[in-house]
Amino acid sequence: MTSRLNVFEKAALGAVALMVVAAGFIFVFAPQDALQGPVQRIFYLHVSSAIAAYGCFAVVLIGGIVYLWKENPTADRLARAGALVGLVFTTVTLVMGMIWAKPIWGTFWTWDARLTSTLVLWIIYAGYLMVRRLAEPGRQAARFAAVVGIFGFIDVPVVHFSVTWWRTVHPGPVVINDALPAEMLVAFLITMACTLFLAAVMIAIRYRIEVLTDQAADRIVAAAVAVPSKAGSTR
Amino acid sequence: MRSLSIALAVARKDLASEWRTRELVPALAQFVVLALVIANFGFQFDSRTAPAIAPGVLWMTLVFAGLVAFGRAFAAEREQASLEAMLLTPAAPAAIFAGKALAAALLLVVCEAVLLPALALFFNVPLSFEVVSAVLLATIGMAVLGCLFAAMVARVRARELLLPLLTLPLWIPFIVIGGQAVQVGMGAGSGGTSSATSLLIDLDILFVVLTSLVARFVLDD
Amino acid sequence: MSAVVASALSQRFGIEVALDAVDLTVDTGEHLAVLGENGAGKTTLLRIIATAARPTSGSIAIFGLDASSERRRLRARIGYVAHTPGLYLALSAAENLEFFCALQGVDRGRVAEVLDLVGLGDVAGRPAGKLSRGAQQRLAIGRAVLHDPALLVLDEPDASLDSGGADLLARVMRDRTAVIATHDHALANRLCPRTMELRHGRVAGVPTRLRIVQ
Repeated sequence: MTSRLNVFEKAALGAVALMVVAAGFIFVFAPQDALQGPVQRIFYLHVSSAIAAYGCFAVVLIGGIVYLWKENPTADRLARAGALVGLVFTTVTLVMGMIWAKPIWGTFWTWDARLTSTLVLWIIYAGYLMVRRLAEPGRQAARFAAVVGIFGFIDVPVVHFSVTWWRTVHPGPVVINDALPAEMLVAFLITMACTLFLAAVMIAIRYRIEVLTDQAADRIVAAAVAVPSKAGSTR
Repeated sequence: MRSLSIALAVARKDLASEWRTRELVPALAQFVVLALVIANFGFQFDSRTAPAIAPGVLWMTLVFAGLVAFGRAFAAEREQASLEAMLLTPAAPAAIFAGKALAAALLLVVCEAVLLPALALFFNVPLSFEVVSAVLLATIGMAVLGCLFAAMVARVRARELLLPLLTLPLWIPFIVIGGQAVQVGMGAGSGGTSSATSLLIDLDILFVVLTSLVARFVLDD
Repeated sequence: MSAVVASALSQRFGIEVALDAVDLTVDTGEHLAVLGENGAGKTTLLRIIATAARPTSGSIAIFGLDASSERRRLRARIGYVAHTPGLYLALSAAENLEFFCALQGVDRGRVAEVLDLVGLGDVAGRPAGKLSRGAQQRLAIGRAVLHDPALLVLDEPDASLDSGGADLLARVMRDRTAVIATHDHALANRLCPRTMELRHGRVAGVPTRLRIVQ
């Protein structure tokens, strides 16, 4: 039955399966946190999504630079795909964080440096997609978006280092500081690997959609220019 | 330095146009004073709360005055369809952009010359060197970013909506750092301002370099 | 030698096709009129020749230089009058030209010369916004020849020109290669030995190749 699936469908199934595996590690393998209880399990997907979002926005940055440099449409399509998927993962990060914050901090939101900068990140890439929609399709949209993507990426290190640069209530980097018990670390690393794979698959599928959209536009154009040729072109 | 002389010629042209028509600066100066009046109604001002509230009022006002000033810099070129004529010369797009940003920044500085004394007068907060230097340093970075996106949205539909959407998130570092320096300068908050000054200079350099690299992609086809 | 050699120029805006596979050659010193209705692609073609826009596909060389990679160099040799005059309305006629002298790297002494050429010597100090439409158009033409370009690209320059406008156009086009877009067949035939018509972004019919009067 699965033999009829194309490569994107197979990859999507694989990504879903891996996320189920990750869920197993999060809910079964990883031990309960002594202080926070079950809410702590949000941490695994929350941090993984944030890292996936960073990765997506790095794709936007690199795609943008390559586009400005070479005017390569592939780079632009990759950037488009990266922005949308990155926005999805930023949303997941924010929502999971808020769900965690309610029982732990007693509030969904606080104007903490990391929360604020992550919200700003979301707004920047929402603006990126807005520019794409409002600019003249083609070179102009691609260029303007590339510029927004390059400037917008400046916020990524701000988000990442906000916990060390400012005094914040957001937990610091527990993973690189060796502050995590071994089982938790394993569960986290597996969740992160699965999430990154999911993000890559989503970018690939979105990239494919962008290719098909561009091809559809090309076909419309080809059909349109075929008509007036009866009116006596000299070609 | 042909690029420098071109940038100066562009800036001089914009300032001369503004001097003849006087359409932007008087309106912005009025806006700035009005913003302070509105803030007076919106906040509970007294001698105790003024140092805590005044910095916020300052930055809110500055940000929105800046959006108008930088938006106008390229909206005027678009209305007169003159930007293209400038680009179709051997002048470097980055030099043209630098001239536009310089003029827009100077016009905003004129508004700041109204805003800061008015703030000090109405809300009785001290106007120290730290406050003025933080505002001026932030103006440089805000101007290059604001003008870059103003140049972009001048060529896009729904431009009034898009300019704040693109610009404000990237101005936040200036508001965070400059805001802290102003709070300290006005007697609220804690810590020194020397690190804020050097951070603002770093940000200015970063954004001036970045915008001059991408300006041609935004201005030219 | 050919001043402009373009092959298979196409310009797309999303799914909108403004120009479709246009071939064009303009010899040095030749005057070509591009005719066509509104939306036929005249402005798009002229903007590409003036290096204001780059085509989506196809290639164009001007004076033997690639029009997209050598834009900056070419711009010193091209004069362009756009659809709208594009003047600084608050600045005087002379100041408008002086500003462009700075951008072009041309001596300011050229300003008076050009103002006389386009017949605006008397109103040099008047703000461009206070000039009539016709005078504004003359000023835009003056700006386009400020740097003595070898190629002149004129987009409907007659649209708002007053009487004597055709003479002015003939004067500035003399000794230069020129491409001019217009609706006016009579004017086109008067100024240009060769005309070409665009229809729906394509070249309509065979360009009438009359003798090139030098």
